[in-house]
Order: sequence, then C-alpha cells, then structure tokens
Amino acid sequence: MANNIQHYIDELHQHRIWRSVFRSGSGDSNLHRAQAVQSNVFLHLFAVKSRRRMLEFSATWYLGALTFGTFLVLVITGILLMLYYHPSVPQAYADMKDLQFVVSSGVFLRNLHRWSAHAMVFLVFAHMFKVFYRGAYRPPREFNWVIGVVLLLITLLLSYTGYLLPWDQLAYWAVTVGSNIASAVPLLGQKIRFMMLGGNSVNANALLRFYVLHCMVLPLTAIFLMAIHFWRIRKDGGLYAPDKPAKEGTK
Amino acid sequence: MSDPKDFSASMESDFRKTPVRVAFVTRRTSPAVKFRDEDYVMTFPETLIRAAVAVQVLVVFLVWLALLWNAPLEQLADPMHTPNPAKAPWYFLGLQELLHYFPPVVAGVLVPGLVVTALVVIPYFNINIEADGIFSKDRRRRLAICWSVIPALLVFLIAFDVYVAVPATLLIAALLFVAQRTPADAPKGFRSWLASKPLSFWIMTWFLMELMVLTGVGTFFRGPGWSWVLPWRG
Amino acid sequence: MNGLRSLWNKFFGNSSRAFGSMSVILLLSLAIAPAKDFFSEWRHAQKNYVKLIRTRADAVTLERHVEPGLQQIWHPELGVVDRCTTCHLGLKEASLSNVTQQPFAKHPPIPHSLTQFGCVICHRGQGTATTEREAHHSTDSWEEPLLPANYIEASCGQCHLSPLRGTPTLNEGRRLLASEGCARCHNIKLADGSVVVPTDDPPELNHIADKTTREWIFAWVKNPQAYAASSTMPNFGFSDDDARDISAFLVAQSTKGPYPARTVKAASSDPNTVQQGASLYGQSFCASCHATQNAAGNLVGGDFGPELTRVGSKLKPEWLESWIRDPATYDPETRMPHFRLDDKQVGLISNYLQSKTDSDLLANVHLEPATQKQAEHGRALVLEYGCASCHQINGVKKPENFAPDLSRIGSKPFAQLAFPAGVEHTLPNYLTSKISKPRAFGAGLKMPKFALTTPQVDALATALLSLTSRANALPASLRIATQHESHYQPAGKAGQLISDLRCFSCHAFNGRGGTMAPDLSWEGSSVQREWLVDFLKNPNTLRPALIRRMPKFNLTGAEINTLTDYILTVYQNPAFDRDEIAPSSLTPQLAEQGKQLYYSKYSCQSCHMIDAQKDKGYIGPVLSQAGLRLTPAWTYQWLRNPQALRPGTIEPNQHMDDADAKALTAYLMTLKLRAKQGGN
Repeated sequence: MANNIQHYIDELHQHRIWRSVFRSGSGDSNLHRAQAVQSNVFLHLFAVKSRRRMLEFSATWYLGALTFGTFLVLVITGILLMLYYHPSVPQAYADMKDLQFVVSSGVFLRNLHRWSAHAMVFLVFAHMFKVFYRGAYRPPREFNWVIGVVLLLITLLLSYTGYLLPWDQLAYWAVTVGSNIASAVPLLGQKIRFMMLGGNSVNANALLRFYVLHCMVLPLTAIFLMAIHFWRIRKDGGLYAPDKPAKEGTK
Repeated sequence: MSDPKDFSASMESDFRKTPVRVAFVTRRTSPAVKFRDEDYVMTFPETLIRAAVAVQVLVVFLVWLALLWNAPLEQLADPMHTPNPAKAPWYFLGLQELLHYFPPVVAGVLVPGLVVTALVVIPYFNINIEADGIFSKDRRRRLAICWSVIPALLVFLIAFDVYVAVPATLLIAALLFVAQRTPADAPKGFRSWLASKPLSFWIMTWFLMELMVLTGVGTFFRGPGWSWVLPWRG
Repeated sequence: MNGLRSLWNKFFGNSSRAFGSMSVILLLSLAIAPAKDFFSEWRHAQKNYVKLIRTRADAVTLERHVEPGLQQIWHPELGVVDRCTTCHLGLKEASLSNVTQQPFAKHPPIPHSLTQFGCVICHRGQGTATTEREAHHSTDSWEEPLLPANYIEASCGQCHLSPLRGTPTLNEGRRLLASEGCARCHNIKLADGSVVVPTDDPPELNHIADKTTREWIFAWVKNPQAYAASSTMPNFGFSDDDARDISAFLVAQSTKGPYPARTVKAASSDPNTVQQGASLYGQSFCASCHATQNAAGNLVGGDFGPELTRVGSKLKPEWLESWIRDPATYDPETRMPHFRLDDKQVGLISNYLQSKTDSDLLANVHLEPATQKQAEHGRALVLEYGCASCHQINGVKKPENFAPDLSRIGSKPFAQLAFPAGVEHTLPNYLTSKISKPRAFGAGLKMPKFALTTPQVDALATALLSLTSRANALPASLRIATQHESHYQPAGKAGQLISDLRCFSCHAFNGRGGTMAPDLSWEGSSVQREWLVDFLKNPNTLRPALIRRMPKFNLTGAEINTLTDYILTVYQNPAFDRDEIAPSSLTPQLAEQGKQLYYSKYSCQSCHMIDAQKDKGYIGPVLSQAGLRLTPAWTYQWLRNPQALRPGTIEPNQHMDDADAKALTAYLMTLKLRAKQGGN
C-alpha cells in the first residue's frame, strides 16, 4: 500500500508537467536540494545552506519568520475581508455587522486579522530588539537594519490605517487622537494632518484614504522592502553569527 | 608544489551529495587557518521546515485566539460624542502618555523623531560596532559624562512630573554603577557581563524599559481625563 | 513518562514529523470556525421551530411557510435591516396564537403589515443581529436594547404626531407634556418641526401681593400640594429659609394691579348666606372647571381651573370679588369667562369661597418682616430655579433654554446620562426615575418634583421615548403631522362677545379652541335659531353622561341675538345649504317609516335616548329635542356620513341610502319635547 502510494508520487514527480513547473526534480541528494532553492523564485532569496547553529531557537527565536508568518496571515484574511467591505460611511460599520452576523466565519476572519495585526506589531518590535541585542546590525548589515526600521514604521502605519476601517467609536477616536499628534508638527502640522485625513477631521475622505493606504500602498511597499530585507540576509552571508568558531580555530 | 602541473586534488566524499569548497594555496600565502568553516545544513528542507513549523505554531495560537476572543467592536462612530478617555491604538499609548506630560511638539514630534533617527544611525557609529564595555576606554571622561547625564535626565523627568519614567532610569543608573565598580579582571559572571556592555546597550535597554512602562501605564492605568485608574477596579 | 516521550517523538520527533502534525492541527483548528457557524444560535432556533410545528395539526401548511436560512427585512429608505424573522418564525402564523414559547409566538394584531416597517422601528434592539444577546440587549456595539412592552406606544408616536385612538398612554403622555408645564422649561420639538406648546396657565405674579399673603406664598412654595392636591405647581424642595426669602422677594416685587379699588364687606359666616353662595356657585356651573374636595377627600369637579378646596385661606377678599366680577381685568390671558354677575351675586360667591378655609395650612407659618437681604436672596433663588419660565415676575426675564432640549431624548446615548445608584441603565428607567425622583440624580439639581401618579409618569416616559432620532430621519411622507392650532379670531361685536365669554376655552371654531365642549365650526348649519336662542339664555345639557355643563352667562337679549345671528350666518358647512330640505317635504308617512328604521333596522336606541324613562342609550346625545334643535338638512347629511361632518366622531357610518336617511330625518324632526323652563 505505502509502496504503491510512493510509486504514484514518484511517477507524478517524474511527469513532464510536474517537471515543467519544478525543474529541480525530486531526490534526496544535496544537489537536488540546492537546486530546489536556486530554481525557485521565492526560495532563491535564501542561501542554499545555512549554519546549523543558527537553527537553534535561542539564536533568533524565529522572530523574523514569525513576523513574516503573521504578514501572510494578514494578507490572506485581509483579502477575504476586502470582499465584504465598502470604504464608505456608514456602510463600513454596517459591513462589520454583516461580518459578525451574516457572513460565514466572518467573525473568525475579522478576529484573526485583528489579533494577527497586534501580534505582528509586537513581533516586529521583538525582532528589532532581538537583532539589536545580538549585534546583528553590524556592517555589512547596516543598511538591512535601516530597512528593518522602515519596515517597523510601515507595520505601525498598516496597523494604524487598519484601525480606522471598522468605523466604530474605538476606531474613530483612536485615529482622531493619533492624527492630532501629527498636527503638533511646527508650522506644517495642520497641513500634514489635512493631507493625512483629506479634510480637517476624520471623515469619509479619511476612511477612503486610509483604506487605499491599508490595502494597496503600504502592503506593496512592505512586500517590496521585505524582498530586499530577506535577499540582503543572503548577500550578507546568511544570518549574523558571532565569530565563536573563528576563535576556536586560532587555538 | 613548485610546478603547477603537480597539482592534484582528491575528493573523499561524493561531491554530488556534499558540495566541497576547494582552496588553492599559492606560494605567497600561508596556510594558517584563520577561520574554520562550521557546520552547515541545507536550507531546504532543514531551515525552511523549521521556520514553517514555527509559523504553524504561531498561526495555530492565533487561530485559537480568534476562535475564543472576539475583536472589539463598539458603536457606530459618532463625531458628536467623544468617549472619555479617547485612546489611540496600544502601540501609540506610550506616545499618548508622553503627550500628557510634554507639549505636543516635544512628545508628538521631537521624541518619536529622535527615536527613529537614533535607531537608523545605530549601525553607522564605530562605537556601536566595536561594542566595547562602556567604561573600558577613556574611562574618566565617560564616567564624568555618564554621571552628569543621568542626574540631569532625572531632574528633567521630575521637573515635568514624569514620575513613571523614574524607576527604570534609576535601575539603569544602579546597573551602570555596578558595571563601573566591576574590576577588569572580574571572573566571568553577571558583573563582568554588565561591564562588557557598550553604550548603545544601555541606551537601548533604557528605551525598551521606558517604552514598556509608558505603554503599560497608558493601556491599563489611564481612565477618564487621563487620570489614574486601576485596571482591576471596574 | 516514557510512553509520553515516545508519543511526542512519534509526532514531533523531527522537523518533518512536527511539520506534518502541525499541519493537521492547523487544519483542524481552521475547521472549527465553519463548525461554529453550523451550530449557531439561529440555526438551533429554526430546528426547534420545525420540531414545534410538526406537532401541530396544520404542520404541512406551516412547514410550507418556513424558509430555511437567514431571513431579512430590508427597507433602505427607512434604514431598516431586520433579521429578527430568522428566529421569530411564527410571527405571521395565525394558527400559532396559543404558542407562548419564544421566539415562536404569533405577533398580536397591529394596524400595519409586519413587513411594512420591519421590527426594530417599533421594538428597537439591534435588527442586524442574529444572536439573542446582541439583538435584544445593550452591548458594547449596540446600546439600544428592546423597548419594554409597556412603552411600546412610544414607537407609534414616531410617525403619528397627533393623537391616535389606539395609543391612550402616548396621547396622555403628550397631553401631560403640555399640561404639566414640561414645555415651559424644556424645548420639545416633534419630528415635523412643531413645538409642544404648554397648555397650563401659570398665574402671573406681578401683582401677587394684591391677591394673597406672604404666609400663603411661604406655605405654597414649600409644598403646593398641601394647599391643593391637584396643583400642577411642582415641589422644589425649598428649605424654610429659602421659602421665606422667596416669599419676601415675591411680595417686594409685587405692584398694584390694574383694577378699581372697591370697599368690600366683611365676610359673613352666616350659614344662610354661605348656602346661597354655594347654590349660585352650583347654578353657574363653576364646578365644570373648578374642583373641590368633598368630605371623603375626593376631588369633585373639573380640572380646567384651579382647585378651590382651601381658596379661603389664600385669596384676599378684594381681589376675589374683583376677579369674579371680570377676570380679564386682572389677567387678560385668563381662560375664565366673564360671567356678568351683579354685585350681589359676586358678593355671594365670594363669601362662599372665603368660607372654604383650612386652618391647618397656615397655622405654623410665622414670618418676621422681610429684610432687604432676604428679598435679594429670594430673587437669586427665583433666578436660579427658573421661576420666570412659567410665571411673570417684575424685573425677571423668562430664561431661554433653561432646561435641556428634549427633542431627541428618546434616542439619548447612555454615555451622556448620569444614572443614580441602583437604577438599571435603560432609557425608560432613566426617564421614569428622573420624572418621579428628580433630586435623586445628584446634589444641586434644579428639576422639581411633580405630583404625578405612576401611570402618569409612565405616560410621560412613553411620550418622551417617542422623540427619537429615527423619528426625525424617517421620510416625511410617513409622518402624520400634528394639527396646528389656528389663530382664528372672529371679528366685530360678536367677536368681542366670543372673547369676553372665553368660548374658545371649551369650544373649538375653525381649528382653534378647546376640546372640552363640542366643535362649533358648523353650528350654523346644524341648529335651529329658536333652539340656539333658548340654549344661550339657559343652557342645559344634551348629553346625560357628562358632568361638565355649559355655564350660564347671564347674557342680555341683545347679546344673545348678536351671538345667534353671527353663529347662524358664519359657522356654516360649505358642503350644503342649511335650508336645503324644506320641512314641508317631511311627511308624517315618511316619519312613520323613519321610526321603524330607528328602532329596527338601525337600532339607534342602543346609543341615543328619546324617552328618558324608557330608553337606556347613554352614549350619544338625547334626541328628544332633535326636532327643535337640529336643522333637517344637517340631520340628513349627518345620517348619510357623520364622519364627513365631524371627523373622528364615534357615530358609526351606516352607509344609509338616500331614502332611509330622508325617512329618519323626517322621524327625528318630529321629536319636539320642550324642556321645562328654568330646569335641565
């Protein structure tokens, strides 16, 4: 039975169509595995090999991977939520009610999106502090650190713009408080706030603006920067590892 | 190895399974090993599958969170009716707490601007890259700066009634004092570890502690009119 | 322990195993969300409903009506998205009328189709919700819970701005809003933009020292209900010192009234004189408007004017006589008619009223002469408590927006309300507590305590609950607007008489006037001249069930002629000619035929009386004088379609044909029993 299944799987892996998609082919050899990474547009951001000691949980706490995981969850749930959402007043709030009461698993979708968003903000901060305390910002990784800081700000903006979308009291006043901070900028404060909200107060224009930022501009920017962020890890020699082995080597 | 033709190399293992790095040593270079290659694993599947499992654990956790707790939803936004207190999202509550003490230009623009700038420039200062213990070089001058900056900071915080930020500052000062009093030849341990920590460590740790304290206070201990409340009392 | 370890190793021993196991766990966790949907509350309710109807005789029909899945009533123009019918499946099933188990009971009959306006417009709650908790109760995301059933008439009032037959509580509440003086301090605007106009008549205090004593003012301000149980003046809970200072100020600001000073004979306690005054009081039908407490402590008489039980302890004799002689000289706005009594009659009534004293009322009131400081403090209190909202006081302006606007109180968010301890946070609770215990809401509040019964408080709460934001947002086409009071004022000599006699206090003409007595807009078409002249000379009642009667005004012959001419020529129905049916066309044969119709086909005797000894119809007017009183044309038109002549009359429209109406008219015109002169 098991052999039979294995046979069919092998057959599938050898098939023309499969091979046209996954060129590396199957096999346990390191060459195959290397090709699996190199011939895949997503995986080629990684080096073919990684240091074994960097797989230890204590080394990274997997915070980068986890942050990316929450981002994926947010993209998937976010796209599903977009199907039920109109960025208009007061329909946006009515859509929340529909998600809650009518849409199949609508509450779950919204909950998952919300909690994942909080988790992502938390994980991004944790990631930053972890990287700092490990000293992983050192050259040649200094620019990747800067990208990381920018990604932190984008994450905050994503969360902040998403906060307004339910158009409930919580959303409205949280965003009002936030936008009032922006108006404290000397000279340009009011102008910045006006540009941010598309008006002098949080209103339908602000909702549309935040929606576009939340669903288009910021996620695309984040994906773009994340690609650079990941690719740079590889270019800078994999995950930063303190030079313990070198010292052993000079003994 | 005078004649290049004498060159030969042998492979012990199957190169199809294990890629091998080959070093060519010429007459002018010494063969001393400066850096011994360490143990590597294939990214696929070893690294990726571990990362995937980590993400799976997180997602399962989030899914259960979403199943058990509903995301908050309040009443329809009403511009005419301001809730008291009106709170920003939790990650901005540290800032909102600062706004309570300082004028908006300071708390809303200067402080966040400084924080972001500081974060960006960290990797561009040699002092951060060398990362020697804070008092290991130029000890006198650094001690003088340290013990004038910290009291000044404390006076500043108290002058603006930011008492919540004082304990963490005092804790950092106490730890710095321990680091200062640790002799260079101290046995390996907490004290020597402290003494080995660079300036950026101390600033970042202070920042992290204040961030947590201010955010925590803003989230849990602030009620109507931004007055003190206890979260467990209704 | 080892077993556990080997189990752990089996599933999480290496990364591929952990990946496989975690994938399974993740997929299972993800499957819980749709499963939760499947076991939702509303699906459970639908299953139970099907179970319930299967046990019933008409199961097949009932099951055919059931549509599984979420149900929704959607009226975008009304802002209605109601999903209540998802669980409330039996609302329209007449055969489920004996089912009490919710949510499956049948809806009681209402004048609207159940889907016409949805559910929440009347019942409130959250229509979009599909769980009981969210739909019925107050939650974080929806404040407004279901409206308790005893206030449900408030919902009718969102569209129906004028009184409805089916909403007695709401009608009463709206009446109280106007008559209890709520609208004097609060601005109360209805959805059609009309404003609640106060109908009470608080006296002006400019000349109060002419009228009463400082002691009485003190006792009154302390507790108005101790003087007159039916008083609409609320209790402000003033302390003795406050009441002393207010009385000092009111007396100090009082100026001399504009009526001629006369010397008044000392009151006579001779029982005979008092008795004469009492009978004149009765003959003038003062009790139609004024009540007095009888020996049993019950109020007898109308509530249109102030209660007079203890009036002798209040009024100064000079003022009282002057008032009875012609109230308008003292208060041009008064609703009390000018009775045209002679000096002797005035003296008798005055003497009778002065005998109505209560020795307890002022027994303990001993006031020192007021100081300047006290009067100043009194003035401050008068300003603080907004006394001038109701009363005219020299040197004190009527305050604007003295109390909160109540135009949208029916949708007030809880966050803007402060509840006293122990009151459950619902809007009806807030309103009833605020009205019945206004000072329980905190120190320093100004709202006084009104003497209202619990049903009156509930009626007021109902009327206030009808003032919702939704009522203002509904399409104007749904609104049944309030009837606007016209400013009709008849001209000429007759007009002066109508004003002097304050006819508008009780009767309405052309859309202006009171509802206590019949609308006289078409009186000219309906009555015969001789009858009207007799009636004005000596009014007697037409409806035996009524206690209130038209007073006798002691009019002169010339005055009666002026009034009669005016009424007969001006108050005509334009739809027909009052003389269109000649009396000669009503033959005795026709009358005989009409009599048959009266007693058999239409059974008029069940409501009307002709022979007071024999008949028992107490609902409609007595018809024994119909032939003397009514014109044939009016009688005929009335029989054809009573509602066309008087909208809302309870006389049923029998859709009589021409011949029947004519015959009945002929019969009614034969009824000419003459009342005994001087009696009624």
